[in-house]
Amino acid sequence: MPEYETVALQDILYSTINTQVLLMQSYWFGDVDEHGCHPFVGGVPEQARRLEEIRVEPGTYVPIDWEIALECGYIHDRSEYIKKLRDLCFFIAEDKISRHFSGRDIELLQMVRMLDEMDDVINLLTERAVEWYRIKNPSFSRKYRALTGKRMINIMKKEHGRAFAEIIGDIERLQESRTRLMHEVSRIAGTVLPNCSALIGGLVAARLLSGAGSLEELARLPASSIQVLGAQSALFSHMRTGSPSPKHGIIFQHRRVHNARKEVRGRVARVLAAKLGIAARIDYFRKEMDQDFMESAQAAVDRAGDGKDAVD
Amino acid sequence: MGRMRWIEGVLVSEGKGGVYGEKLLQGFRVWNPYRSKLAALYYKGSDIELEKETKILYLGAANGTTVSHVADYAEIVYAVEIAPRPMQDLLVVAQKRKNIVPIMADASRPEWYAPLLEPVDLLYIDVADPDQVGIAWRNSIFLKESGSILLMLKTRSIDVRKDPEDVMEQASRQLEEKGLVRKDMKWLSPYHQDHAAILLSKK
Repeated sequence: MPEYETVALQDILYSTINTQVLLMQSYWFGDVDEHGCHPFVGGVPEQARRLEEIRVEPGTYVPIDWEIALECGYIHDRSEYIKKLRDLCFFIAEDKISRHFSGRDIELLQMVRMLDEMDDVINLLTERAVEWYRIKNPSFSRKYRALTGKRMINIMKKEHGRAFAEIIGDIERLQESRTRLMHEVSRIAGTVLPNCSALIGGLVAARLLSGAGSLEELARLPASSIQVLGAQSALFSHMRTGSPSPKHGIIFQHRRVHNARKEVRGRVARVLAAKLGIAARIDYFRKEMDQDFMESAQAAVDRAGDGKDAVD
Repeated sequence: MGRMRWIEGVLVSEGKGGVYGEKLLQGFRVWNPYRSKLAALYYKGSDIELEKETKILYLGAANGTTVSHVADYAEIVYAVEIAPRPMQDLLVVAQKRKNIVPIMADASRPEWYAPLLEPVDLLYIDVADPDQVGIAWRNSIFLKESGSILLMLKTRSIDVRKDPEDVMEQASRQLEEKGLVRKDMKWLSPYHQDHAAILLSKK
């Protein structure tokens, strides 16, 4: 590199960095130090990898004018600078997105959300069909018969009328798909979330995952957040207006919580959430079942249900 | 050209339409204040004009709707977004607009994307993070001495229990304690609830 360029570079650097010793600074297009600039050579994937290794100290970092890349000989003009930078950034973003979506937890999350959505749709359609059925059968009342949706469908199936029968058939098929999906969710949850699933069952574990957004996010949540995951509206009304705090969210669906006596239900929820917090971290980092942990965790939850203290 | 463009009281930007289903007015893209906080700020009146030379660091780019309008005005937009789903949409927007640099990174960790940036004229922050103030401060290293920070403060992300007015005052105070100067503040109602636009500069 010719002498005058080096001097110009130094001027620019010294005018922006107010330190005695000039450290080397790395940028996406190359390294810059007091001797000049060393442009990066190689393809976009290597450039992305190199970028991940660059450690920037917030205290000494200075953003650098794009002209340095020009003097560096890395590019010829502004538009080439932007083009190369964009190529790199698109590569990084696409790579990160595909890595994110390749996680098996992400598909499980979509599956469980689909499952919950199907429940809503099936209930909605069944309710509407019952209203219709009552018009056709004026003497029918559902009120004192405690009929579940499924049994209701079985009754309505016997009703004739082309459009009506067809819709009932559709609802039935939806129920079948829903059941199949549920089994699949439980099965996959058992492999993606082995420890959480062992504690609260695959379905509820998958719903926790859905509430958190991803396995990584679930593993990062404190137990107190896991405890009230899914009870956000109650939590925020508690924070804003001081109404009683929610004791449990999604984890209420687990039998040991909803079957617990009212006096100990909050305690069971808290202990269970604490153990789930650990289980989620084992699931995320070790990705395998920890038998020893599971035994002690199950015992702690059961003890809480008996009204005893959770301390081991 | 370079100043904000209005047609009969409607804010528009000049660029190829059909990015997210926005309306067109005399061939210009309508910039809806109910969908974009920055557009809302212009409707409320703002000194921050986007010019042909403006370099912008945009934190919280989301699906790129506001970014697409900003790119119609500015020289270059460094658009930072962490979530994969919005990022997919942002990439599609950025493919058509060559002056958007999409950066998939966490705005609260500027050291990760620092090697990609050049000094900017405007630091625009629209992130739903409890630590919006810290994010603004840490990212101010990318700002030119003459540059401005526009912080779209979501008061409810910081503390839903407190009065938005108090949250805004506290955020402003924290930033001024760090040495930034508050130049202006506007609430974005009726377009956006509990959002304050705070304009800051280094001096």
